[in-house]
Amino acid sequence: MTVTATTTVDRTAPSATVGAWRAFNLQLALYRHVWHGTAFTSMLLPILYMVSVGIGVGSYIDPASLGGLEYAAFIAPGLICSVAVMMLGNDMVFPVFGGYQDWGGAYLAQRATPLRPLDILNGHLAYAVLFRPLTNCTIVVIVLAFFGVYSSAWAALAIVAAVLTSAALAPWLHFWASSIKNDANLNMIFRFAVMPISLFSGVFFPADQMPGFLQPLVWISPLWHGTELARAATADVAPALPPLAHIAYLVLLAVAGWFAARRVIQRRLNF
Amino acid sequence: MPHDNEMLVRASDLRKSYGEHEAVRGVDFEILRGEAFGFLGANGAGKSTTMRMIGCVSQPTEGTLEVFGRDPRTEGAAIRARLGVVPQDNTLDGMLTVFENLVVYAGYFGIRKREARAKAAELLDFVQLTARAKDQVNELSGGMQRRLAIARSLINDPDLVILDEPTTGLDPQARHLVWERLFQLKHRGVSILLTTHYMDEAEQLCDRLVVMDEGRVIAAGSPRELIDTHVTKEVVELRFGTAHTAELAELALTLKGVGAQIEPLPDKILVYTDDADDTAAALEAREIRPTSTLARRASLEDVFLRLTGRALVEDEA
Ligand SMILES: Nc1ncnc2c1ncn2[C@@H]1O[C@H](COP(=O)(O)OP(=O)(O)OP(=O)(O)O)[C@@H](O)[C@H]1O
Ligand SMILES: [Mg+2]
Repeated sequence: MTVTATTTVDRTAPSATVGAWRAFNLQLALYRHVWHGTAFTSMLLPILYMVSVGIGVGSYIDPASLGGLEYAAFIAPGLICSVAVMMLGNDMVFPVFGGYQDWGGAYLAQRATPLRPLDILNGHLAYAVLFRPLTNCTIVVIVLAFFGVYSSAWAALAIVAAVLTSAALAPWLHFWASSIKNDANLNMIFRFAVMPISLFSGVFFPADQMPGFLQPLVWISPLWHGTELARAATADVAPALPPLAHIAYLVLLAVAGWFAARRVIQRRLNF
Repeated sequence: MPHDNEMLVRASDLRKSYGEHEAVRGVDFEILRGEAFGFLGANGAGKSTTMRMIGCVSQPTEGTLEVFGRDPRTEGAAIRARLGVVPQDNTLDGMLTVFENLVVYAGYFGIRKREARAKAAELLDFVQLTARAKDQVNELSGGMQRRLAIARSLINDPDLVILDEPTTGLDPQARHLVWERLFQLKHRGVSILLTTHYMDEAEQLCDRLVVMDEGRVIAAGSPRELIDTHVTKEVVELRFGTAHTAELAELALTLKGVGAQIEPLPDKILVYTDDADDTAAALEAREIRPTSTLARRASLEDVFLRLTGRALVEDEA
């Protein structure tokens, strides 16, 4: 308490990038407490899927029905992107809702500092959209390589597809979790967003096998677009739409979601 | 004890509405560097709302507010960089350790890791939590969490520390420890702004204070000034067995003249007087014999009571 002169404190408003970086560091500190658990899950999950579904179910499936792909090779890219969606279910629902609560709300603590609501949003999104896929989905990609499911030299690009999937979905989950006042409604996000997206996105079977009235769900699902891109990377098959169209859709969803999330967090953190 | 007359906060006709409800209804005050300034008021008086406006997380609905000579509307982030805030709810991160809470928070102010660690260690020492540095915050008692929140508010060497009810909910021992630390801060020349509904806290810590009630400032001054202005030097508390509200009100009528002012409460009658002995003698002369008589110096509690007709802390259950 005595050496006050030695601390260099920035007395100015940080730039948007610096602000987001400072906010992001909270997520990093929290991650340090759980990283071994999540890394283990990211290793175990693809192994379990490969052994049970990939090889088990796959032995009943004729590769001809999958455009010549082995079943394990068919589901691998979807798994990579699905892991990104599952992580969002952890990172963008409860931690966001809790951020505003007076019992330990991280957003409220950050708000009392030079960070602005937008920094707080961007910092949290950077963690969910960039950091998490770049670490955990990378583990998944590596583990899957041991099952010989890639037939393209560009397989690692599936990570980019996972990042894009995250980017398209994360701000909307943030928006939703920020709009909810009662934690009983939090499960709705899982029931009506995370779950259906995981099921109706052509991860485990070709999306065109879905009944026609469910097709629109497939088309709007960011996971479907992400999976199409990832499959193009790992198996070198042509995606349903031109790659740029898939990318454009995901980017558009991301940008629109970011504006929506920004609106809510600014409202909620100005009392 | 202001060093100079540099003004840290200036508010005039400050107002805040939530929908139809006006939480702060035009308050004026000035806080000088080096000063310990208090907001005293009952639940819902508008203390936290005012603190949030000064802390630049809430926009005033009307009126002017300047913090460090700047406008919170446009320069909030730069102002917050120079503030230390202990919110009414601690907002500590329960999943992180005590030490991490400080280091992460330091990062929000752009303090580098090395410095942050050194500063965190120093502050933990200051609030006597060094032994708990590696524990998760969830495992700390309420009083320890409060001390940690105070340590956290000092991480950026703030020009002004805002403490919203620093000791509410703490046991007497924990309160005294917090008071003692705040006292030290004050002696180091740190400017302090605190809210409280404990008049003893305000009396002990504040150089100047305002009394808030229903969104308005109803009195302002040093604790001594407030007592001198609004109440007599001494107070005699009279209890009459089990006599209650209505009976006491009636009894109060028979007391006219034994003191400067008679205030019947639900469970006792207060007689404001400049000399308790005179009052005792006057009671004796009238052959009024309460079951218990307690003479004491007048306090801020009495000021609040005189001004609002209500007790400040309503029977704490
Ligand atoms: N975010 C908000 N939305 C709506 N009303 C609010 C909000 N915050 C405070 N109020 C209302 O404003 C009034 C003043 O509240 P405030 O929290 O400032 O009081 P306080 O003096 O801090 O009380 P306490 O001692 O209980 O902390 C109360 O009537 C409260 O209900
Ligand atoms: Mg309050």
